[in-house]
Amino acid sequence: MLGKLLKHEWKAVWKVPTLLIGIVMLAGLVAGLTFAMPIWNSDWVGLPMSGVMLILTFFFGLSGVNIGIIIYFGVRYYKSMFTDEGYLTHTLPVSARELLLNKVITMSAWNLITAAGVIVSLMIFGGVAFLSLAPLDGAFAREVTRALAELPELFSASEMAGFQAFCASLILMLLTSAFSGTMILIGAITLGQMVRKHRILGAIGAYFAINGVVQMVNTVVMMPIMFNSMNNMWWEMDSPFPIFTGFYTVMSLVFVAVSIGLYFLCEYLIKRQLELE
Amino acid sequence: MSELVEINNLTKFYEKKKLALDHMNLTIPRGKIIGLLGPNGSGKTTLIKLINGLLVPTEGVILVNGFRPGPESKAWVSYLPERTYFQGSMKVKELIDLFADFYQDFRPERAREMLANLRISEEDRLKTLSKGTKEKVQLIMVMSRQAQLYILDEPIAGVDPAARDYILRTIISNYSEEATVLISTHLITDIEQVLDEVIFIRDGRVVLQDTVEHIRESRGKSVDGFFREVFAC
Repeated sequence: MLGKLLKHEWKAVWKVPTLLIGIVMLAGLVAGLTFAMPIWNSDWVGLPMSGVMLILTFFFGLSGVNIGIIIYFGVRYYKSMFTDEGYLTHTLPVSARELLLNKVITMSAWNLITAAGVIVSLMIFGGVAFLSLAPLDGAFAREVTRALAELPELFSASEMAGFQAFCASLILMLLTSAFSGTMILIGAITLGQMVRKHRILGAIGAYFAINGVVQMVNTVVMMPIMFNSMNNMWWEMDSPFPIFTGFYTVMSLVFVAVSIGLYFLCEYLIKRQLELE
Repeated sequence: MSELVEINNLTKFYEKKKLALDHMNLTIPRGKIIGLLGPNGSGKTTLIKLINGLLVPTEGVILVNGFRPGPESKAWVSYLPERTYFQGSMKVKELIDLFADFYQDFRPERAREMLANLRISEEDRLKTLSKGTKEKVQLIMVMSRQAQLYILDEPIAGVDPAARDYILRTIISNYSEEATVLISTHLITDIEQVLDEVIFIRDGRVVLQDTVEHIRESRGKSVDGFFREVFAC
């Protein structure tokens, strides 16, 4: 039944986030193309200003699309689980675990797709900007090409020691934060339902409370790494990457632990405390 | 064969202080059309929501075909809530796909036939339909299942008399002899003709469970008349 739930959930949700990601990619393309336009040397200040505004809109759009998709999935989770639509959701012959897993998998997958969409948008912007500037400014193009060619040499420098592990920890954090972001949202909305007369307010309060707890746990578990780094005088070390690798790995573990805890709490609440209005 | 639904000592408090059901004991037999009747706030909808697993009891046990409310019981119960509960952005055909995927007893061809009779297009999105048409679509979906228990919460409230006739005809012509239909309503006169049994509820307790025939014979009045007598303000 989980497969069927995923199929219908996917069909119901894919349009809005795809549209938002598409818009931000298009914005990246347009913002990059501004570099090919003869606006930057214009006598009228309005033209370069409009170019700057376009680029800024793109960068704000990157945050906007993230926030928009989080809100979209939060509202959908709330509506499909705890409002009138919940009457259908909770009368399907599926278990509370399957219902919850369906939401967690779909939302986590979309968090990752959104992150990938943001990265691709940045690449589109950077790529188009480079291709636009290259024909206009040969020196710039040569500098960028030279820098790219020197990258392998750069990675072998002592200042870059531990860079691969750092990248791996960064990817791990990206993956775990997609899951934890979902679980914090789902956890907050589900916990908010326990405030029977002010469910939305309860969810908002729970969201800030859970985030506060995650921050606190993160700070506490980071302490040993920070003290250890100070004892070893990290500022005298060649490469900063091993320290950041430690930070990100620990943060990832905290994210996973908090998310698993929230998952079981939500499953318990949906199974044992469900009260549809 | 055991009873279809067995309810023992069922109690429901809202927010630990408002008592909705008070140690209720009840059995619902197979193969009957039963009216669940009571004044506002008597506990009808709470009882229905508990049977469907939309609420969790404070105390007591509900068994549907021997199972507590859960995936097994939901596969046998077809429930029509007293509200519009399908996602507005869905098309009617998507709803048919969804029901066909999840309910093994759903008959898509029956649903399509009933929709065609009402000239409702499968391409229509629910949000574009009128309230009355949405309610008909909901009823069609629910009655297109070959469930063992149909629970209809206020199915004829707020619709015109012609629609009421259609709804009652749909209910009668779509349930099998072995299935039970539990109908909660205030509009007793309209449904009295189709009922086999009635359950009267007041203050979260069952005050009467009897056949319609016996009430007419022993009380010398219709169920509606007897209801007015029992629940006179």
